[in-house]
Amino acid sequence: MPATALVFVVDDDAAVRKSLARLVKAAGYEAETFASVQDFLARRPHEGPCCLVLDVRMPGLTGLDLQETLRVAGQRLAIVFITGHRDVPVSVKAMKGGAVDFLTKPVDGETLLGAIQQAVARTLADRRQLARVTEIRDRIATLTPREAAVFALVVTGMLNKQIASKLGVVEKTVKVHRARVMEKMQAGSLAELVRLAGEGSVMTAG
Amino acid sequence: MGVVLILALVILGVGLVLERAGRRRAELSLGERLRFETLLSEQVATFSRISVADVDREIQRALRRLADFLAVDWGNLTEYSNDGQTARVTHRWVAEGVGPPPWAIGFDEIPWVVTRLRRGELVRFSSVEELPESEAAVDRQTFRRLGIKSQVAVPLTVEGVVVGALAFSTVGTERAWRDELVQRLHLLGDVFANTLSRRRSEMEGQQLRQDLAHVGRVSTMGELTASLAHELNQPLTAILSNAQAAERILDSDTADLAEIREILADIVEDDKRAGEVIHRLRGFLKKGTLELSTLDIGELVGQVARLVTSDAIIRNVAIRLELAPGLPPVTGDRVQLQQVVLNLLMNGLDAMREPGLGERTLVLRTSGAGPAGVVVAVEDSGVGIDVADLDHVFHAFYTTKPDGLGMGLAIARSIVEAHGGRLDARSNSQGGATFSFTLPGIEKEP
Repeated sequence: MPATALVFVVDDDAAVRKSLARLVKAAGYEAETFASVQDFLARRPHEGPCCLVLDVRMPGLTGLDLQETLRVAGQRLAIVFITGHRDVPVSVKAMKGGAVDFLTKPVDGETLLGAIQQAVARTLADRRQLARVTEIRDRIATLTPREAAVFALVVTGMLNKQIASKLGVVEKTVKVHRARVMEKMQAGSLAELVRLAGEGSVMTAG
Repeated sequence: MGVVLILALVILGVGLVLERAGRRRAELSLGERLRFETLLSEQVATFSRISVADVDREIQRALRRLADFLAVDWGNLTEYSNDGQTARVTHRWVAEGVGPPPWAIGFDEIPWVVTRLRRGELVRFSSVEELPESEAAVDRQTFRRLGIKSQVAVPLTVEGVVVGALAFSTVGTERAWRDELVQRLHLLGDVFANTLSRRRSEMEGQQLRQDLAHVGRVSTMGELTASLAHELNQPLTAILSNAQAAERILDSDTADLAEIREILADIVEDDKRAGEVIHRLRGFLKKGTLELSTLDIGELVGQVARLVTSDAIIRNVAIRLELAPGLPPVTGDRVQLQQVVLNLLMNGLDAMREPGLGERTLVLRTSGAGPAGVVVAVEDSGVGIDVADLDHVFHAFYTTKPDGLGMGLAIARSIVEAHGGRLDARSNSQGGATFSFTLPGIEKEP
């Protein structure tokens, strides 16, 4: 059974915080509330499934500030914005910044819980992707400089002979490096190696 | 302003006491002519330098001086009502021992005289018998009833439009009006006309400034309401979330009644908080702004219509007034009700912004409602309201205008409701929309 998802509620209004936390808990989530963006940032990042329900307008740092802070820090935490004002420019900015939804208060419970469900899933997916990229990059880090060079050229579709000529070595040496790359990258085929290169955003050498 | 301007009619009733009559019938002596010229030039100088606030006093003084020189009984400045049907005396001078003239004279009571004055012609008669017997039959009857024996009436012309007349008449006795005297009075008429015109344009400017101040107040009110609405949103959000949380808890197998009780207590608390916000808004609407007085709704509506006339002309919209006569007076805050009518008119004009609408007409209508109430309706031939939008148009922050705040109708409705009335919207069958509000009549004391 997967761990219960945790919903962070950040709103400067105590009654709103309390009621949203209740609703979220009644729907089977864990909830933690924060009166300000600063308070939330003081908490260490949660590794389990989670999402953020975030008020836009607050004294001090705003919801948009928090979204930007998380982005810069490379944290994967999906956000559901809630606001008292229908502010089109702000909502556009929030959605462009990757928010799952932008809801107007008073928020209907079903709508909010639906958005929270999506947001938790988004957080998980984002983190999985991040973990995958990190893993691939870790594998790339184990390559020697010569292996890395071979890797970069292999994924462009070059033949061993061409690579050998380009690197100024014999074809047999390329073959040996290539086998080591496949092994270290845990790739069973050339196609898989190319996919890994793409996922890991490996820049191919020119 | 496009509204037919009030024709200000100055009737100076000149009554000559019998023993003076003989002397007056003779040629004016050199001394008298000098005195009269001096009087005229002094009046010209006075009227040209006085401020608008002093116009009433100076007209009164001029009437008295002229009356004194001519030995008259009556001196009246008469203005016509908005509908142009009746005349109202605004200034008058009455000699001792003479009964006062009536405060109002209908156009239909002196049609022959009014027709001539409106053409810019001077009217002069030494006795009622000089008036054409059939054409001026009604006038003759009226003058006889009022006891006017002779009269000279000078039209007052401003920029080619006759806006009034300066008239001298005698009561109780007939008299001749000398040409030179009449000519000089004609000159004085121009002075009166310029003075009245100057006052009118200054008053319109003043009115405009007041209206701008009102608009400013509306927008201040709008901002305040926006912040209050935000405050209202918080408890409403809490109430909704709490209630929906409670529903979920009750649906679960392990419903915790203690928690439900706690939630209900919070809902009550948040509801009170919302109530306080509304209370504060009401307080603002009342505080110092609701000045109740007895109002003629037709007059109020007409004034506001005049304000938007130039706007309507620019937008190629015809404004049609359909004011029901004889409506009962209502009690209300003049400024706030003006704001409501102004808001509805401006909305109507905005609704007809779309090109290719064909005939653009804004109808402003008043009618009776119930035993003592009135209805004011603004009907446009614009784009109309979608059925889906009908429910929302009165909500704060709801707007279909690109630059709208969405507060106008919400405020208009709260003003109308504060007056015990209702504001409704509906789509017209032939296109366009009608916004109407009711106002209850004055309750009679038991």
